Amino acid sequence: MAIKYYWEDFAPGRTFESATRMLSEEDIVRFAQEWDPQTYHTDAQAARSSPFGGLIASGWQTAAVGMRLMCDTYLLQTSCVGSPGLDELRWLKPVRPGDTLSLRSTVLEATPSGKQPNRGTVLFRWEILNQNGEVALSMLGRQLFLRRTPA
Amino acid sequence: MSYKYYWEDFYPGQVLEAGSASLSAEEIIEFGKKYDPQPFHIDEEQAKQSVFGGLIASGWQTASLCMRLICDLYLLEAASLGSPGIDELRWVKPVYPGDTLHLKSTVLETRASASRPDMGTVRSRSEVYNQHGELVMHMSGVGMFRRRSPGE
Repeated sequence: MAIKYYWEDFAPGRTFESATRMLSEEDIVRFAQEWDPQTYHTDAQAARSSPFGGLIASGWQTAAVGMRLMCDTYLLQTSCVGSPGLDELRWLKPVRPGDTLSLRSTVLEATPSGKQPNRGTVLFRWEILNQNGEVALSMLGRQLFLRRTPA
Repeated sequence: MSYKYYWEDFYPGQVLEAGSASLSAEEIIEFGKKYDPQPFHIDEEQAKQSVFGGLIASGWQTASLCMRLICDLYLLEAASLGSPGIDELRWVKPVYPGDTLHLKSTVLETRASASRPDMGTVRSRSEVYNQHGELVMHMSGVGMFRRRSPGE
């Protein structure tokens, strides 16, 4: 795929809004059986008597869906060469079957690499929203991009 | 239902270690296609040309595998009430197909809830190592747990 966005294209304040993705009960249970088999993620019946009052998605699935939405919105058209990590990830609202999620990512900071003149880092605020506009997940993610023009 | 681990069973300095798990190329590609379809997670040929020199697991898959190891190690036997979040997650080294990963989880702090006498929180640092003993990922997470004996 042709690269549309390099490090220079991520100016602080720039915002990307993704398409939406609905999570079904089957999606939630299948992910959880593999990666996070706590009963409130895998068993709708048992989840009713849990503190959440019903089945909810693993927080890792919510984050992974955010990643997919980011890929489809712009990341696959960028010079991204990975991520060193994330900070302040917060699961603010449970995600339930039928919820429709979208990602809003905002550039907070773009820093040239001190060591590699052909790279830079971009700090994004991720907000994963549900269909009511509530933030279900928020985090600070850092990604590395190649520069269009090395320093 | 009674649990093996309640909030009181965690103490600062406690270390819990889990056996090994690994991801095959097929599992890496399957996860990548669903959640993180960057070429270096889904296409062996393109991955060879990438900065990683070969196929690597999505960091979200490594984190999910870490969660699975935590579940199998103690969380499924604990009176867990969920988690508000994660701090300082770092993907330190790429995870390649066939790498054998190992979890070491250390309790950093436990705190009784001020608002809920039946609950407490546990902050722990989880580290994932590969078969060479290299740290590949670490994170600090908070878990909420029911207490065996509610406080005042």
